[in-house]
Amino acid sequence: MKKKLATKVLSLILTGIMMASVTACGSGADSSSAGSSATQTVADPASDAGTAESTDAAPAEAAVPGEPFKIGVLVSDATSAEALGRRHYLEDYIAKAYNMVFVYSDELGDSAGEKAAIETMITNNCKAILSESSFDRPAQIEQCEAAGVYYAVGSGALDAEQYETYKGYTYYVGSVGPSDATEFETGYQMAKYYLDQGVRNFAIFGGATVYRNSMHVNRVAGMLKAMVDAGGEGASYQGMTDPGAIIGQLMADGEAKTGAIGDVTLSGYLGGYDMDDAWFAKGAEMVQAPGVEVLLAVGSGSDFFGTATNGTDVKIASVDAYAQDYYEAMANGSLDYLAGKFSAYDGPVFMALYRAVNGNPLRDPEGNAPAFDIGYWISTSAEGCKEMLDLDGDIDHPVWTMEELNALYDADYAAFEAFVGDYAFDRIR
Amino acid sequence: MNRGRLSLGKRIFGTLAIPLFAFGIIFLVCAVRGVVLFETTRNWMAFFRATASVMLTTFALSINLNSGRFDFSIGSVALLSSVISSTLALWLDLPAGGMLLICILSGAVLGCISGGIYVISKLPPIIVSLGVTLLFEGAAFVLTDGYGVSFVTKAKLTGFPGVRNYLLVILVALAIMILIFDHTKFGYEYKALLSGQSVSVNMGIREIPNAIACYMIAGSLMGVVGFLSATNTGTIQMALNFGSIGVMFTAFLPMFIGGFIGRFSNDKLGYLLGGMIAAGISLMYAKLQMDSSVQQIVTALILVVFLIYLNNENKLVELRMLKARKTAKHRG
Amino acid sequence: MKVKNLLLNIAPLIGLLILIAGYFVIGRINDINVAYGLKTIVNQSVVVAVVATGAVFIYTLGAFDISLGASTAVSALMAGIVYLKTESVGLMFLTAVCVAVLVSLLNSVLAGVFHLPVFVTTIAMLSVLNALALLLLNLGGTGSEIKVPQAAVKSLDTLWFKLLVLGAYFLFCFFLFDFTPIGRRQKFLGGNPLCAKLTGISLNRYSVIAFVICGLGVGLGAFLSIVYAPTLTRNTASSVGMDVIIAIVFGGMPVSGGARSRIYAAVIGAFSMSFLSQIMVMLNLNSGVGQMVKAAIFLLVVFIAAGERKMKTLPR
Repeated sequence: MKKKLATKVLSLILTGIMMASVTACGSGADSSSAGSSATQTVADPASDAGTAESTDAAPAEAAVPGEPFKIGVLVSDATSAEALGRRHYLEDYIAKAYNMVFVYSDELGDSAGEKAAIETMITNNCKAILSESSFDRPAQIEQCEAAGVYYAVGSGALDAEQYETYKGYTYYVGSVGPSDATEFETGYQMAKYYLDQGVRNFAIFGGATVYRNSMHVNRVAGMLKAMVDAGGEGASYQGMTDPGAIIGQLMADGEAKTGAIGDVTLSGYLGGYDMDDAWFAKGAEMVQAPGVEVLLAVGSGSDFFGTATNGTDVKIASVDAYAQDYYEAMANGSLDYLAGKFSAYDGPVFMALYRAVNGNPLRDPEGNAPAFDIGYWISTSAEGCKEMLDLDGDIDHPVWTMEELNALYDADYAAFEAFVGDYAFDRIR
Repeated sequence: MNRGRLSLGKRIFGTLAIPLFAFGIIFLVCAVRGVVLFETTRNWMAFFRATASVMLTTFALSINLNSGRFDFSIGSVALLSSVISSTLALWLDLPAGGMLLICILSGAVLGCISGGIYVISKLPPIIVSLGVTLLFEGAAFVLTDGYGVSFVTKAKLTGFPGVRNYLLVILVALAIMILIFDHTKFGYEYKALLSGQSVSVNMGIREIPNAIACYMIAGSLMGVVGFLSATNTGTIQMALNFGSIGVMFTAFLPMFIGGFIGRFSNDKLGYLLGGMIAAGISLMYAKLQMDSSVQQIVTALILVVFLIYLNNENKLVELRMLKARKTAKHRG
Repeated sequence: MKVKNLLLNIAPLIGLLILIAGYFVIGRINDINVAYGLKTIVNQSVVVAVVATGAVFIYTLGAFDISLGASTAVSALMAGIVYLKTESVGLMFLTAVCVAVLVSLLNSVLAGVFHLPVFVTTIAMLSVLNALALLLLNLGGTGSEIKVPQAAVKSLDTLWFKLLVLGAYFLFCFFLFDFTPIGRRQKFLGGNPLCAKLTGISLNRYSVIAFVICGLGVGLGAFLSIVYAPTLTRNTASSVGMDVIIAIVFGGMPVSGGARSRIYAAVIGAFSMSFLSQIMVMLNLNSGVGQMVKAAIFLLVVFIAAGERKMKTLPR
């Protein structure tokens, strides 16, 4: 009898969990994800009309021709402020403004995950893929081309060789994001900011440089080049002064070597995202090394090493996005410099996909898919950060509104390019 | 091995031999590379934090593993309890002490859920732990909308790390564990069930409450591990699809070392010493900026060699006796 | 009683059929691309199904190998390096299989010769293999990836090739498991090791056989991984290890091994998990909720399939 009761209780508990989960899902699936290759669908405006109505800048129907459809979004980073900000814009503004459905992947870890996620998205009738994951972009493009699904790179770019190969593909729509040159310049300006103030001892957090991620490699290379330029006569990084050579060396080593660069010293370096105790211990060791004045981070330095620099004079400079946490970090001194993306970054690339799916693809004068370059907003004070955060965080009036994006529906290549290039904070403010 | 038969000198030697040998090697490697292991206060802090974290994880793992219950879910308990406690602490503006208390309580409740599913379903514990891991990871994800928790700028919570606080955690946890498992009825019953499950149950020992209590204690300990990790970094990263089980693997080497040392003194003290060795090795890796692949291989090889010794020491004794007999024969 | 036992035995199969039915019903409501979806499910199940089918031999002995995912990764990386050196798909295939079998043999030798518990051996091996994968990426690749040209394996990246590999390996294992003394003796060893030993059955010998058969599956899985996604990184096959355990248990295999072990458990489990994942996507579940539902269904199915538990003590 007892046994039967126990069996029933267990069955009830398990069924209850399932029911609760399904119910919870019914009340709005709205979070990000991590893990395997499965996908999740979010932000179906049809089931959330009330919210759409309350958003004055987000009408239920777009004022441009074309049918709404599903877009699959591939992400290899699902939880950083940068990723969350962009997702917030797509889900809570674009989806409602254009009646779109965005199907987000889980946090992808390899090319097999990317391929599986695209398969699942195509199964679920996604007409376009917006990729923010770069383990194997050629494979993604080939897969989408074979399946007749439009594909664009968001918040990034193809390298020169890849672009040459794929720019003429029918279903390759293009890219909007920082080019390698912009990433290099971002790292360069970050290091230069401190070098100009007389700082001579640095540590670098190189993030995905160890995985030869070109975005991070270029940022680190920019930092090193700035040190070479400021290091006095004969200064070099491992005997190199040319940006191309420094990038090549970083690609070969997967890390920056510590040591003297003229009269500038690189005292510490840490890469990867192991996030275990040993990794955090290494990070603390790096920022607490004798003499270190500034930690230059290719990603979120204050999130990972903020507590390790508590009580020290070490300053942190990060590349990430505008978020409340970073404003607070700047206000309390644990973050000193921020090169950040704003959440509407994916607005133009969305419009490029929207045009393509609705039969109005954007091409450059040679008939190729475009590759638009875009940079960062930089703040060096809490006040400046707050201003940018306030502008970026207003989801009812985002940096790039539906009205502005609508104007791109029929824009030619030059007008589109000018729009994307005009991203400076002062202009938008 | 009967501890009572060993002289005090042998017991002290047996207890301290491995830690002294390990730290001798660590200091030697550091000296060769020209690195000072404990250069700053922060090095001591990192050492004691890692010691506390590894020791508590080892306690949590061993409580159930020694009883034949393999538990994949301890990492997910640490994750979910730290998410619950930090969310509440931020919401109610609690200090680190309040967050620690909530961590312990929520860890105990999660352990109770895990143990409850095990005793009700009577499924093998390893299977239950797989399901529970997925469940708790999913719950942590849902609670934070997948964003994790960040409180880097909240000095009230990130102010906890400190040598004194970590030492306090280590000593209190050690004392409580020795008290519970060596000096209470529950502890005696636990040991009886451990060595003879059927006989103990036939004698009237209630296995189900004992098992649930074990899960609750392990859960509380992992709650503290989650707290130490969260307050150290100020962030809690999400994990899905068994991403949380990595924590468990840090405890195997200290557990086997602790078990060996336990023959000469007390296994709980052994786990502390095992934790100190693991922390020392970890700090050495950090000081030498050693590559993570080298770290993994070295640690795995130490584990394998140690296990080979443990599982074959009787053969070594036999070999020594055989040699002695042969030598005696030759002399004779 | 017989009917009840039969129902318990086929409970995982019934579970799979229910999931398939659910997939089609929900898919129809959501107007999904069913044909593409089925191809997706095969692609996402086949590696786990192949590796798990071999692993059944180890589980039958009551042992447990947690390093299968890492072993798959190392075999794939080694095979990738060999391809880059030789440009021979045949050699790449042979390397994948040989490396996997060698790793498996090493596991069994460590366990057999040095008398280490299999599970603990595989935990240590997991660390070694993960580290080896990083070293291989540095030695044979760019440090972050080993890229086998897609053109080299494109002709094999078809549904039929994958199903053929799975089918052939499954039939091979099915034959060994159900129609030769190997399977019978392994079940005996798993069910009652002492009694089996007294009748002259060598645990070491059958452990080695089990690990070699499993290694073969790991090698095939590694090759199929390359065929599916030829850009290999540190995360290649990273989820396979735990997916294999889940699939085997979900398919109705008792963790303690023995007479109730079933060779088809792996395939049923692997496909069940894939159908379940696809249903989660169609139901718009976010990842956390989806994982909780999966966990609940997993526990429920295993609970039902385990049947009546009459023991006085708790299982260990």
